[in-house]
Amino acid sequence: MIPSRQQQQLVSTTRRHFLGAAGGFSLGAIALNSLLADNAAANLIPASGGNALTHWQPRAKRVIYLHMSGGPPNLDLFDYKQELVNRDGQDCPDSVLKGRRFAFTSGVPKLMGTPRTFNRHGEAGMWMSDAVPNFHRIADDICVVRSMHTDQFNHAPAELLLFTGHARQGRPSLGSWVTYGLGTENENLPSYVVLISSGTQPSGGQGCWGSGFIPSVHQGVQCRSQGDPVLFVSDPKGMSRELRRKSLDALQSLNQVQADQFLHSETATRIAQYELAYRMQTSVPEVMDISREQAAVLDEYGAKPGEASFANNCLLARRLVEQGVRFVQLFDWGWDFHGTGPKEDIRGGLTTKMAATDKPVAALILDLKRRGLLDDTLVVWGGEFGRTPFREGRTAASKVLGRDHFPDCFTLFMAGGGVKAGFDYGKTDDLGFAITESPVHIHDLQATILHQLGFDHERLTYQFQGRNYRLTDVHGSVIKDLIA
Amino acid sequence: MHLIGSFRLAIFLVVIAQVAGADDCVDFNRQIRPLLTSRCVACHGPDENERMADLRLDISSGASQDLGGYAAIIPGQADASELIRRITTEENDELMPPPDKGERFSADEVDLMRRWIDEGAKYETHWAYVKPTKGSLPVVQDADWPANEVDQFLLARLESAGLQPSPPADRRTLARRISLDLTGLPPTPQQVDAFVADRYPLAYERFVDATMNAVAFGQHWARIWLDLARYADSSGYPSDQPREIWGYRDWVINALNRNLPFDQFTIEQLAGDLLESPTQEQLIATAFHRNTMTQNEGGTSDEEFRVAAVVDRANTTMAVWLGTTMACAQCHTHKFDPITQQEYFQFFAILNQSADADRKDEAPLLELYSPEQHKQRSGVQAELDKFAVVPDEPADSANDEQHIAALQKKLAAIKPVSVPIMRELPSKERRTTKIQRRGNWQDLGDEVQPGVPAAIGGSASVNDDESRAMDRLALSNWLVGNENPLAARVVVNRLWEAVFGVGIVRTSEDFGTQGEPPFHPELLDWLAVDLVEHDWDTKRLLRQIVTSQAYRQVSTSTSELNELDPDNRLVARGPRSRPTGELLRDQALFVSGLLCDDVGGPPVRPMSPNLGLKTAFGGSNDWTTSEGKDRYRRSIYTEVRRNSPYASFTTFDAPNRETCTIRRDRTNTPLQAFVTLNDPVFVEANQAMARRLCAELPAATAQPRIEYAFQLCVSRDPYDNELKTLAKLYDETAAMLAGDPQSAIELATDPLGPLPPDASAVELAAWTVVANVIMNLDEYLMRQ
Repeated sequence: MIPSRQQQQLVSTTRRHFLGAAGGFSLGAIALNSLLADNAAANLIPASGGNALTHWQPRAKRVIYLHMSGGPPNLDLFDYKQELVNRDGQDCPDSVLKGRRFAFTSGVPKLMGTPRTFNRHGEAGMWMSDAVPNFHRIADDICVVRSMHTDQFNHAPAELLLFTGHARQGRPSLGSWVTYGLGTENENLPSYVVLISSGTQPSGGQGCWGSGFIPSVHQGVQCRSQGDPVLFVSDPKGMSRELRRKSLDALQSLNQVQADQFLHSETATRIAQYELAYRMQTSVPEVMDISREQAAVLDEYGAKPGEASFANNCLLARRLVEQGVRFVQLFDWGWDFHGTGPKEDIRGGLTTKMAATDKPVAALILDLKRRGLLDDTLVVWGGEFGRTPFREGRTAASKVLGRDHFPDCFTLFMAGGGVKAGFDYGKTDDLGFAITESPVHIHDLQATILHQLGFDHERLTYQFQGRNYRLTDVHGSVIKDLIA
Repeated sequence: MHLIGSFRLAIFLVVIAQVAGADDCVDFNRQIRPLLTSRCVACHGPDENERMADLRLDISSGASQDLGGYAAIIPGQADASELIRRITTEENDELMPPPDKGERFSADEVDLMRRWIDEGAKYETHWAYVKPTKGSLPVVQDADWPANEVDQFLLARLESAGLQPSPPADRRTLARRISLDLTGLPPTPQQVDAFVADRYPLAYERFVDATMNAVAFGQHWARIWLDLARYADSSGYPSDQPREIWGYRDWVINALNRNLPFDQFTIEQLAGDLLESPTQEQLIATAFHRNTMTQNEGGTSDEEFRVAAVVDRANTTMAVWLGTTMACAQCHTHKFDPITQQEYFQFFAILNQSADADRKDEAPLLELYSPEQHKQRSGVQAELDKFAVVPDEPADSANDEQHIAALQKKLAAIKPVSVPIMRELPSKERRTTKIQRRGNWQDLGDEVQPGVPAAIGGSASVNDDESRAMDRLALSNWLVGNENPLAARVVVNRLWEAVFGVGIVRTSEDFGTQGEPPFHPELLDWLAVDLVEHDWDTKRLLRQIVTSQAYRQVSTSTSELNELDPDNRLVARGPRSRPTGELLRDQALFVSGLLCDDVGGPPVRPMSPNLGLKTAFGGSNDWTTSEGKDRYRRSIYTEVRRNSPYASFTTFDAPNRETCTIRRDRTNTPLQAFVTLNDPVFVEANQAMARRLCAELPAATAQPRIEYAFQLCVSRDPYDNELKTLAKLYDETAAMLAGDPQSAIELATDPLGPLPPDASAVELAAWTVVANVIMNLDEYLMRQ
């Protein structure tokens, strides 16, 4: 059989079976079909509890990805450099500047030691600064990678590389690959949900949750914290549920006549999709309504019903994975600490930003753990790149302390989903300019995430324009040391 | 999936294969090439860097070369051919393809390979790279059925598969089908009635011609081209700034309406600026390639993103005119198709001489005045001129000066609109183009000269005038010239896909060796040659397709056809598919009487949900709804922002226009049900429909209103059961709402606005609910 025909079959099949139930097939069956089609792999095994087939027994069944859009200052949060503090204010050494280009810095910038206070935390003795007091509480639950690196030093390409494996628009995102591979666990909810806080969408735009050339049912559904959580999920004003049911019954009976007369499967699918939509009108607002949580839980997260905050989104993430959503992607804006204003100062500005965000992250991880969900839910926290060990060029004369974009090293952490807990990985040099031990490229991170979900990143492929595409392009290795 | 195991399908496929094969010889292109491509060529193909064992199996000389006393393929001797031994061996370390690289040849496939080698192992050029020819028309048994040549080919195929065509659809169905297909709008009840009543010969053809000549034709068909051209009203990347380029959108609509021949359409868009004394319109056409994105994020390199734009132009040109994917060759020689990395950058070099350079101001720009502005300007100018001819009269001079100043200010206030266009760099500023190793713009290899790939007809003779380097003009002449085997086929396939839902080549984005071969190869080639013979007249081509008997069949399927040919590639029934989100919105506005048919001009902003989000480094994603009737303009005029495309269109699979889209998905999801049931844009149309029914049939009972709604929405009268169901729904809804006046008012007025004088809220609300049902009928949401 010609591969492209299989792909087409997949597309047309998917068209008829969004979110499963319709017509007796499920997305799980589609995932199976596509994997078999692309790989003819005989070594696929069913994921327990789900309907997908994976390459091996998965350690994680769902993902919550917390993305701090802009590039958190790793040197002021996790990666403590006493030597950089000692040499604060000195000229940056020639050796690290030679042949380099930075986004907003030219000439010879000054080294900048962190103004934050660092200590070791947890049994693991993990270095963290005073900016993240709530992360101290989860030191023994997280796996910190201090040796992340990327190819891109501008936000949009770096975010696209992180979420699609490629620095330009047009490729499927991580979440799309995951739902394409794993299918859905709850047919009454979207399987890939995106939540955005702090008022601005990420630089990489909707491409960060787009499905590229994979069927569009796999793209992330952006849920809103205000108004309809999913676009147009609410009935028109003045229409009661009873009236909706009544009018839907009339519609369905007329459509059934059409289905019987014309014998097109798409009509049958439409009837099923309208019923599914009706059920979603209940299930979506329910899962998105955090006022159903106990006051103590709301307090723990710092969540307040009715707000569009990162804290609310963390709590929603837990509610969503609890209901079987596969991939929950959070974006929070405001992590670009250049020092161009007080909000971007690594002293006060960072304290304010972290205060609104480290508490809900800690609460999320501890909450998942309490509910027994952390074992098979992979949580990732990070940005698209790091920040320079020197002061940002444009703001060097101001009172505000900021750092420029830096792709060579940054810190990211994971928790649950079968990665080691209380584990430190990778090292950078004394000034934080280069990785000295165990580098982890973006593609390695992606390969590792897919590995935990039961997939060989080289074999989770989709054929498009005559080529088998994969998330990691032609790169990436699983970092086995991170796996428990 | 259960279909595949079906015995009947197996028989059917055998029938098809026999038709295709014609005689008993193995067909290289159809049967062998797909096997070589999927199993062998990635490692034994054109890419030198990836080639294993120094063996090429994609060409005859490579496959039969002496490997030291033996050869992979010895023509005529399958048993002596190493290839056969290696694909059948039980030794895992000798087996090809290696188990971790690809699927093992099945017994049937091995048998095919054997037969092919025994028959002489003849290689043939990939079908798409051979120039199309007009073969003789096939003989059909039922000579009365065909209306034209399209039917002749389709019927011959159907007959050999033992199938019958379906009966013709009735005129009401055809009126709606034709109208939606040609204009993107349903017909009015008056148009339908006139067509049904037309008892003269060629009534159908007349209806087609009238519909094709409507302004709405260009407004509808432009959508496909704007997807290809990645047209948007913003510049993309994180800041996604507004971009004024709508003059190009209007150019496309006009070009389609005046039926600009496709060769001219091509040349003006790719190289209008290089024509001798180009007109303003020809310059606007070149904005085709100015629809690439511009990166304005601080700290980014303009050169990096200029190069990215040129890469996009190269890939888009290849995809749109050659149905060929070139992106692979940007990083390495294509693994399957005969395009080397050097050839990629030769193609890139042609497009690498334009003056634009990822600038924030989008220069170079063409500034121009709209016809309206021209009129205003000449009016003011005429007044000014009066002062020039009247000799100065001292008493009035102060007054005059004031007057003149005011007029001059008025003149200056009429700001021209601008369109980014293509301009070639002056000769002394021309860029040299080098191969970018692994597609990295900073890692440069050897210099290359502009050119087009040899395998698809490119050669030194591309440019007759040897004193001039290959430029965009020479490229566009070549694309629509006699040497290029692909362009006409790609155009035919694109129209076929738009009408029948699936192209003759299903993989419309890939005519290369990895794509699917054409389902009706002789028909595709016949139409392609015919198109060129008739001066690239695309309206004529479209007319050939829609006046065929095949197009006019009922779209009703049967369980037999569902099993044998679920995608209707044989066209044993009429086409049926779900239209775009743009069309569904236009249809809702049209049937409810809201649609504003103004033509052209700056993009408009219909109602859209607020997301409360900004785009990175840019403005708000939300917009203020356009004033007045602009919110009801056709969807083609809706502002396209790449970072926040119009939500309901996206739900129906519209792309965000960042890059060229050859083919949209057609999904069927519950999120789409939310749009047509609950999106205020659609609810507003339900409310307007309710008011229309009550205003135009003021004293009527439920029945005539339901009948009228059906005529407006689905071009027919309702059946009894439909009437009964909806009349009952109306009565029960009215009864429910009578006890809940607040809900009735909301249902009838939010968002359309206050009730008309003396109207009953309960009555209008109940009709809104009925309209909401009718405007969600599968029949209404489909084109059938």
